[in-house]
Amino acid sequence: MSPSKFDGSRNLFHAIATDIHFWIPFVVLLGGLFLLDKLR
Amino acid sequence: MPATRLRSLQALGIFCGFAAGAWLGGAEAPIKLVNPDISPITVSLIMVFGVFLARWSVPALIRGTSHVRNDVRQAPHLIVWAVLAGCMWAVANTLTIYAIRNVGLSIAFPLWNTNSLLGIFWGFLLFNELHYAGWKRWLGVLGGAVCMFGGATLLAIASAHQAAPGKAAWGILAALGAGVLWGTMYIPYRKAYLTGMNPLSFITFFTVGELATMTMLAVTYRGATPLWHELVGARAVLFWLMLGGFVWVLGDLFQQYATKYVGISRGIPLSNTNQLWGLLWGILVFHELRGGSQAVYMQVAGGSLLMALGALAIALSSATAREHSSWQDAADREGQRYGVEDEYVRAGMEGRAYGSAVTRRTILDWLLILATTTLFAVLAAMAKLPHMDIALGWAAALTVAMLALLAFCGIALWRTTRFR
Repeated sequence: MSPSKFDGSRNLFHAIATDIHFWIPFVVLLGGLFLLDKLR
Repeated sequence: MPATRLRSLQALGIFCGFAAGAWLGGAEAPIKLVNPDISPITVSLIMVFGVFLARWSVPALIRGTSHVRNDVRQAPHLIVWAVLAGCMWAVANTLTIYAIRNVGLSIAFPLWNTNSLLGIFWGFLLFNELHYAGWKRWLGVLGGAVCMFGGATLLAIASAHQAAPGKAAWGILAALGAGVLWGTMYIPYRKAYLTGMNPLSFITFFTVGELATMTMLAVTYRGATPLWHELVGARAVLFWLMLGGFVWVLGDLFQQYATKYVGISRGIPLSNTNQLWGLLWGILVFHELRGGSQAVYMQVAGGSLLMALGALAIALSSATAREHSSWQDAADREGQRYGVEDEYVRAGMEGRAYGSAVTRRTILDWLLILATTTLFAVLAAMAKLPHMDIALGWAAALTVAMLALLAFCGIALWRTTRFR
């Protein structure tokens, strides 16, 4: 069983940072936290 | 994938969706035993702590935690998605508290139930779900989800008991916000399962984000010292709240398997039948609608029927081989981006073993199980049952029904995928 082909965490973070699938939930999460702050 | 294997995985996913509804709805029962004086944030925090314990001990019991290490070696990026999804769940759950407080359950519940429609949208847009599905399946899934939304609205109106209009606009925003968060939370879910991750691995990291966010929110909103005093003061009900969390985790596990095998566009609406189960507990066990008008009973009957019909329409619209091949394209795309072994991705999608490594339970797994069991036993010894009019016969009947679903789906999952 061979591990992921990624050599290091740098490549991994680059792949995540350039993935729109990460930014959609992340922005929605920030929006949720902003809304919660307004509701307090 | 052979057609027979695809059919059995689709049927398994649909059964898991129904089991998820029963267990997620049943999780509301222990919480109804708790004194309403305790702050909702604190209630949520204690429940999440029960969830945390369950999410580490249940996988340890089922397969051992060593398979989690194997999954992380193959797809380390999924830790980020799991933690992100956990954070989203905690924020959405807290928003629902404000939504119920500001506009009442009848308005809030259907608004956050729109998460299934958003899930269908994300599934179609990002993960090729419902591609080449044909108009009949589109009609089944979309029509079923709309039907369930209508049913949820009727049920919520009938079961509304604490409507307190005041800051209506903020309440509606909070409910919609929860729906958007929960609907979008399924992007990380689907991402994980397309790349072959085991649901039991995903939830262990999910719960880290969930507990960390919930603790941060509780400390920020309540203050550390008042929160501690409230937790100490609530020791007689800690067991019920944590039991609610434990039951919820079993429901969520089924929801994860449903998402894995039938996708988010079908898995989420089926799990949303939890409202029906919550209502059954409320009416039969806690006598919530006793003395209600005929109009209320009509709303309950109509809403339940609509929800059941919607769920049935979705259950009958399982993915065809052609649609499934477009899921495979999305999975290949994920595998290439993150350097995941093709065979690992394929094995995950087909619910079969990858590699020859045999994972066994370790001493750490047994310690986790022992510690969780001991903690629950101690809390149960301290717990008090409040003086409430509870129909124990109905409670036993519903518990038996839930356990039967647990056994049936658990055996089916074991036989078909060995909990992969």
